[in-house]
Amino acid sequence: MSEKKNRAWRQLWNTFFGKSWPMWVGGLILATLNICLFLVKSPWGGSGTYINWGENLYQAIGIFGLKNIAPVHHNLYGLLGTMTLLGALLGALLSREFALRIPPAGEMLKGFIGGIFMALGCTLGIGCTVGGFLSGIPALNAGAIFIGLGFIIGAWLALRYLLWEMEKLPKMSSGKSLTILAAKGKGGIWQPMLGVIIFAFLLIGASRLFKNDNVLTWFAIIGLFLGLVCQRSRFCVTRSFREPFMTGESEAPVAIMLTLLVTLFGFTVIKYMGVGASTPGAARVLALTWVYPHFWLKALIGGIIFGIGMVIAGGCAVGTLWRIGEGQIKLWFAGLGFILMAPISKKFIVPGFSHLLPEWAQKTVFLPDVFKYWGTVLLLLVIILLWYLFVKWNERTGKFSAI
Amino acid sequence: MDVKVDQTLDCRGLSCPMPILKMAKAIKDMSSGEVLEILGTDPGSKTDIPGWCEKTGNEFLGLEDLGDHSKFYIKKA
Repeated sequence: MSEKKNRAWRQLWNTFFGKSWPMWVGGLILATLNICLFLVKSPWGGSGTYINWGENLYQAIGIFGLKNIAPVHHNLYGLLGTMTLLGALLGALLSREFALRIPPAGEMLKGFIGGIFMALGCTLGIGCTVGGFLSGIPALNAGAIFIGLGFIIGAWLALRYLLWEMEKLPKMSSGKSLTILAAKGKGGIWQPMLGVIIFAFLLIGASRLFKNDNVLTWFAIIGLFLGLVCQRSRFCVTRSFREPFMTGESEAPVAIMLTLLVTLFGFTVIKYMGVGASTPGAARVLALTWVYPHFWLKALIGGIIFGIGMVIAGGCAVGTLWRIGEGQIKLWFAGLGFILMAPISKKFIVPGFSHLLPEWAQKTVFLPDVFKYWGTVLLLLVIILLWYLFVKWNERTGKFSAI
Repeated sequence: MDVKVDQTLDCRGLSCPMPILKMAKAIKDMSSGEVLEILGTDPGSKTDIPGWCEKTGNEFLGLEDLGDHSKFYIKKA
């Protein structure tokens, strides 16, 4: 009887931590968590974390004249991303997948450069793959469509570069590498044990640190689960934009489409009903959440630059966060490039860029103002359907796939 | 794993998408029936490599998990 009970527990453990979850399963959970974030305060985003970390870093050093920057644990997105990173560390430890994977030097350089591109792209275009697209489309923001188009173009360009690099500069991705702290055989039990200790520590820490602030508490808890789910399902938005041009597989794009559909449903209900808004003015503010002045060229340019960066780095803003937690050193360098560049771009490059672009290139367009709610949802469903038909056709024919 | 290996590709330390790109290039240059052994450390490769084989028709012979890295075996179609 006891053996049977043990087997049942082992099966339950293996369901969550035995092998990776399908990406679409992760996507459905992440969509639900994203809707929860919006109900608490505002939707999921990744780039705000790096901006907050970078601004805190420069403020501590005392350069660029940054003052009164919210500390990480008091900034919603600084906190959310930090907890996402820790959640991914937790997921990697519990599944014995944590290891410090040190790649060849050329890969670390690519990570750093990719991070710089992502920082430029998300600050110029206002948004990354998660905040700008995965939350932006369900937020019924017209600019999100163009940021997505930018990711497609950027991913295609960067993939061309990687193929060229393999032929002409093979040393960039070869050479000495090192893996340390990996879980080996029965000795690797330290990883899940450490994971359980960290989980308990984080729960106790979060409940003490934010006991007077419900919004921060929920962002901390949801952030932890975002990281855990991302790591277990290897949730990768970069892959969904890159893969049609690389292997042609449709698993990642379809997972992203499912994530978008569920999130779209939740966000539309929240915005249409004005959930939590007590006055018409507050309902309008809620409806315009995550709708930015970047339609259309600004979003497109930012998307292209970000798309190049994410493919070279091997992860977008959130993809970088969870891979940092998993111990992938290339993505540590991507994170470093992102952190160092994001505040510089925000303070010194974005104002000039915005000034340079004409007004028609950076409009704020809330789609229901143009097409009503039903028309907007229909339009977005048609776009997602066309995207689905394209990736499935491309998977079958390989017309756009490089390998 | 008891297979005759014709070529070994070291992808240790590399993260997505480099292992798949390098593997595809290596397979392209091999002859039908030859076996490629890939050494890798990216956890994603455990699903990416069998998935790519299924899609391209190459035969995935299996993987050995050695703790600090894994070995994957592919027979070119």
